[in-house]
Amino acid sequence: MAKKINKKTGFAVFIILFAVVLAVMFVSLFLGSVMISPAELFKSEILWQIRLPRVSLAALLGLMLAISGVILQGILRNPLADPYVLGISAGGAIGAAVALAAGAQVVILGMSSVPVMAFVTSLAAVFIVYKLAQVAGKTSPETLILAGVALSAFCAAILSLIIILTGNLQSIYFWLLGSLSSATWSNVLTVIPYAVFGSAVAYFFSKELNALLLGEEMAQTLGVDVERIRLFLIGTASLMTAAAVSVSGLIGFVGLIIPHFIRLLVGPNHRYLIPISALSGMLLMVAADTIARTVLSPTEIPIGIIMSLVGAPFFLYLLRRRRVEGK
Amino acid sequence: MSSLKIENLVCGYDSRKPVIKDISFSVDDGQFVGIVGPNGAGKTTLLRAVVGLLKVQHGSIAISNHKIEHLDRRELARRIAFVPQLMEPVDGFSVEDLVMLGRTPYLERFSFEQNDDYDAVKWAIDELKISELKDRQTTELSGGEFQRVAIARALAQEPKVMLLDEPTAHLDIRYQVNICKLLRKLRSHRSIVATFHDLNLASRFCSRLVLMKAGELIAEGSPDEVVTPENIWKAYRIKVSVKKNPTTQKARYVLLP
Repeated sequence: MAKKINKKTGFAVFIILFAVVLAVMFVSLFLGSVMISPAELFKSEILWQIRLPRVSLAALLGLMLAISGVILQGILRNPLADPYVLGISAGGAIGAAVALAAGAQVVILGMSSVPVMAFVTSLAAVFIVYKLAQVAGKTSPETLILAGVALSAFCAAILSLIIILTGNLQSIYFWLLGSLSSATWSNVLTVIPYAVFGSAVAYFFSKELNALLLGEEMAQTLGVDVERIRLFLIGTASLMTAAAVSVSGLIGFVGLIIPHFIRLLVGPNHRYLIPISALSGMLLMVAADTIARTVLSPTEIPIGIIMSLVGAPFFLYLLRRRRVEGK
Repeated sequence: MSSLKIENLVCGYDSRKPVIKDISFSVDDGQFVGIVGPNGAGKTTLLRAVVGLLKVQHGSIAISNHKIEHLDRRELARRIAFVPQLMEPVDGFSVEDLVMLGRTPYLERFSFEQNDDYDAVKWAIDELKISELKDRQTTELSGGEFQRVAIARALAQEPKVMLLDEPTAHLDIRYQVNICKLLRKLRSHRSIVATFHDLNLASRFCSRLVLMKAGELIAEGSPDEVVTPENIWKAYRIKVSVKKNPTTQKARYVLLP
């Protein structure tokens, strides 16, 4: 396995992967339920107002969810952590649904109220899960996951109730299954600041995340203020997840699968893990969304279904492997 | 010059029931000090307080005349390094990667490791004589090999004081001696403080010993001064006679029937 990655190979991998992401994004613009010639496509609304924002949004969501996963796995020292599994996504969806029901035009501090509300409820969710899983000051990976799954189910129920009460049954489908079918440029603009902020924060703290590989106490003896950065980083992961959820509903397992595979390929050094996971998340989401809108064309499969079909078995495999290894 | 000075230290996990009750001693540059005493004496607690993992309730701890509460975490981490009793290997990290983590308090944000950092890592690896293990995965090493890696990581911090919690626990006698010899060599330009269970091993290699019991100091001084039948009776409640090892001239205890 090519674990011996250094500055030079790391940079090369980054550039190549970046080119691949752009290429896949470009190709996916020409695939869809409406097949038209490239020349005509460039003149059509379909490209500029439907496909391009959708592909861009898929890429941005992939980046945010993958980085959230890297952050959560690092700071919680839990290889099974992921915004979806921990209930952050479902918690965020409640806030987003409430904000939408109240009227999406509400603007708080110049930002759309939807991601802000989603952030508040996703933070509440992760806080509840974290506190529930804490027994005598310690959290075991399994308890954390169980608490997350239970809270997710609870949040999904509340979410459905809110949607039924506000009378828009069609949107339950959107929220619970996760979909990019209504992607617009305004969605893209909404999430860009969160993606930029989240990536910068994650990379900014890569040194601390590396020190945490040795455990919380050892990280402290290496000069890391674990208490403070834990709060800040969990908040950042929740913020990115909330922004993602508020435009796409629940899309799971990206934050679980990507960091795992990339760790196998480049090792656990966050200097490489973060940027390469970010690009791989983009690649996965763009590819999955292209499949979602073409494979059963003209019917569209919500991307959340595809991710869960792949992600849930992978999650079970990881859980099982931990049991076998007795970790 | 004293590199570590502990004065009237009181600390513990509960302010009403301190584990360390009024301990004072100092460690000079170039010394290898062994902290010994029965289980529950507070040896590990003492190390945790010195490295800043535990709040000082009363008294003070100073590194090269700087009180630790006046240093921020990064500054403290550049002066003092800690090797815990059990350190976990990191899945996917080579020995070199793991030792590089010792450079954390020197790394700047956004920038990659500099030449200084690579030099320090290489130096630490050479000092511990593990250059042949450099590219091995940390998860594949034996206990004795990994302990040297753990010490190299602490050394890469370029500390003035290095603290080790039972560095010879779980090791066979060959590695026990090997680690002690390395530590004795490493004490030049810094000081080393380590806890030990094996009094004879500590007596053989340390320049000074600190004998503790129930959070209090029973004796401190050269091994000859500390390893006496009276002190051992006070600390452990067992009867021993103390003889000089004929070849090393170091004090060692022998259990009485």
